[in-house]
Amino acid sequence: MSNFKPVAITGMGCICSVGSSVDACMTGLFSGTRETNLALNPKPPTRFKTDHSVKCPVFEVRGFADVDRMLRTSALGLHAAREAIADAGLDQKRLSTLRVGVCMGTTVGCAINDESFCRAYRAGEDPDLAPMDRILNSNPAAVIAQAFGFRGPCQTVVNACSSSTDAIGLGAAWLASGLCDMVVSGGADELSRITFDGFISLKIASSEPCKPFDLNRRGLNLGEGAAVVILESEESRKKRKRRARSFLLGYGSACDAYHQTAPHPEGAGLKRAIAEALACSGTRAGDLAFVNAHGTGTPDNDRTEGKVLAETLPGVPFMSTKGFTGHTLGAAGAIEAVFTAACLEAGKAPANIGFQIPDPEMGVVPTTDAMPLRGATAMSQSLAFGGNNSVVVLGKGDRP
Amino acid sequence: MTRITVQGIGVVGGFGTGIGDLAKALTTGQSPRSAITVATRQGPVEFPAFRAETGPLKDFVPSRALRRMDHFTKMGLLAANLALRDAGMANSEGVNHPGLGVIVASGYGATATTFAHLDSIINDGDACASPTHFTNSLHNACAANLAIGIGATGPCLTVSQFDLSVPAALLTAQQWLNEGRVERVLLGAVDELSELMAYLWFRKRGRPAHETMEPLCTKAETAIPGEGAAFFVLSRVPEDRACYCELDHISTGRVEGRLPIGKEGVPLVLSADGRKELGAAYAAAARFSFVACFTPLYGSTPMSPAFDLAATSLMLKERHAFDSPDPFNRDFPGVVVKTGDPIERAGLLTLAEQDGYGLVKLKP
Repeated sequence: MSNFKPVAITGMGCICSVGSSVDACMTGLFSGTRETNLALNPKPPTRFKTDHSVKCPVFEVRGFADVDRMLRTSALGLHAAREAIADAGLDQKRLSTLRVGVCMGTTVGCAINDESFCRAYRAGEDPDLAPMDRILNSNPAAVIAQAFGFRGPCQTVVNACSSSTDAIGLGAAWLASGLCDMVVSGGADELSRITFDGFISLKIASSEPCKPFDLNRRGLNLGEGAAVVILESEESRKKRKRRARSFLLGYGSACDAYHQTAPHPEGAGLKRAIAEALACSGTRAGDLAFVNAHGTGTPDNDRTEGKVLAETLPGVPFMSTKGFTGHTLGAAGAIEAVFTAACLEAGKAPANIGFQIPDPEMGVVPTTDAMPLRGATAMSQSLAFGGNNSVVVLGKGDRP
Repeated sequence: MTRITVQGIGVVGGFGTGIGDLAKALTTGQSPRSAITVATRQGPVEFPAFRAETGPLKDFVPSRALRRMDHFTKMGLLAANLALRDAGMANSEGVNHPGLGVIVASGYGATATTFAHLDSIINDGDACASPTHFTNSLHNACAANLAIGIGATGPCLTVSQFDLSVPAALLTAQQWLNEGRVERVLLGAVDELSELMAYLWFRKRGRPAHETMEPLCTKAETAIPGEGAAFFVLSRVPEDRACYCELDHISTGRVEGRLPIGKEGVPLVLSADGRKELGAAYAAAARFSFVACFTPLYGSTPMSPAFDLAATSLMLKERHAFDSPDPFNRDFPGVVVKTGDPIERAGLLTLAEQDGYGLVKLKP
């Protein structure tokens, strides 16, 4: 692939269990261990009740008020977008002069499933349509576009757990082809009882705090949140004299075409996605300061990802930040891309919390302590149900 | 921007299966209509609908593999396999190739399976949630099944933007081809008329009052629900094989002032589908244009712009127009093209709530 062009990231926003802004998240990522900081531990869900005999803990965003007229997913996305837009130094007057696109990833945000509505319908009632109208008014990309009056392309990617990595890669393509001056891109997902039940039914949710890449990992903890980056054309950036917090240097995506819910055992698609992202960014594996791995804590994902990291990026430090956030599904790729960019900016990367015992089958070990970074580029990768693998390479920005 | 050709088309909808059935419907202006029954508090209500049959899928996929597959995915797989065969790619060049990307657009996703997953929780409790239904309720399950079935190892993406899902997917295909990320894209759109969606339709719009859709009547609600799938093999120009047409321009966004429709005299195929809330917007957008509208052959569904793209591709391949099957056209301000009118270029216009639009320009 030859035509990918680096894109400046001039603003970032994030909300997840670790914090309700990028700065708060960065503070949380370096705030100790699960033993020394109990706030980093997942807890049983409080937003819904279930009748599961075993209580699987989750990472909820506490203190975030729901909005009546839209899904929590879209409200989280809008929160992150507002932070990112402000961080980019943009106001409504400036935005109105630009052609701005919105590309967001989600899973829950496009699912036509409201439990109360369906229960009432099944009971023979004609239920109030308000819950379904709320879903139909909550397309995550459209909500942001409408809130700010953007006129450019508007697209919601529903590619399971790689959704927002793909949304960021696609946003970069819109800029490169001149469709937009700026793209608001990222992902959002709320914690949903239906999804929670679904992951438990697949037997990949852990009843303990997740342990990415650990020998005794038992599965994932679900989380929720949103993250948004402002991708800006060089022309617009120069006009505004705006420095970049990071650069999106490369994006690769490939499908295993192997299984609906399990990764290819040798990580065939992930290897191709990594190779593509490195090639189009002109980055060598040895240049990477670290990899923010998908690292869900499920046996299958971490085995495949660990083997691929050992084979394709030997010696490159890696960690999963899902020990802090849980698996935020369609938001995960964007949250982890923002973490990656913010870590490059701060010159340090967090520990892979939850990890204790190496898995000899992988042949690699994640970083066990927070560490200073050597290098100005890093990678964030996402693996998804359906066999899709998406990878971004990020570079340190030029903001002082 | 990269020029894109349409190399193959596969369709399944109320009109039948395959591009031949669509061509016949376009020529005759007729499409068989069936019905759907929904449970309401007042008892069952039946109303007309355009339903898709997926029986011919057994020609492409072993019966054993179809047992746990839902209607949504079956429609997608059938249309995708038909498109590959139409492009001369079935079991040969292009398949099992990393240069083939897959994009699926859906307004609402696999709603029957989503509902079935909820049923498993409602009926039997949280611990009895169906893992199969959960997996297949994800929007990208159809694309994943498709990629697995044909061995497509390039990027695989699903997008959902309600009425604008198809233009959004086309824009993505254009970006992939433009970047050199893929050599070809298997792009499709799927939406189903499940029990849930039919019930919502009934609650919002009532039982369709008209026997036929009149999408060029701007003031009346005449929509009849539909479902189906349409897939396309898209390739960068030049390509050795003959193709249907070339996609010349793709844009989406919010309408501001006049749309970039282009030269007068280029007919616009409208995705107007008898929904009253969009009638005036279509009339305003196309008031100085030559227009055509084929939705009465397949009904109102978020994926219908993909059927419109198939119909427009056929027009451009044959270089002549088809009659629009709306028999009345009482108050639409545009000039409706007639069978036999020569067609050198065409546009495809989709409008949505909140002033959203998608515009695709095509040429032979």
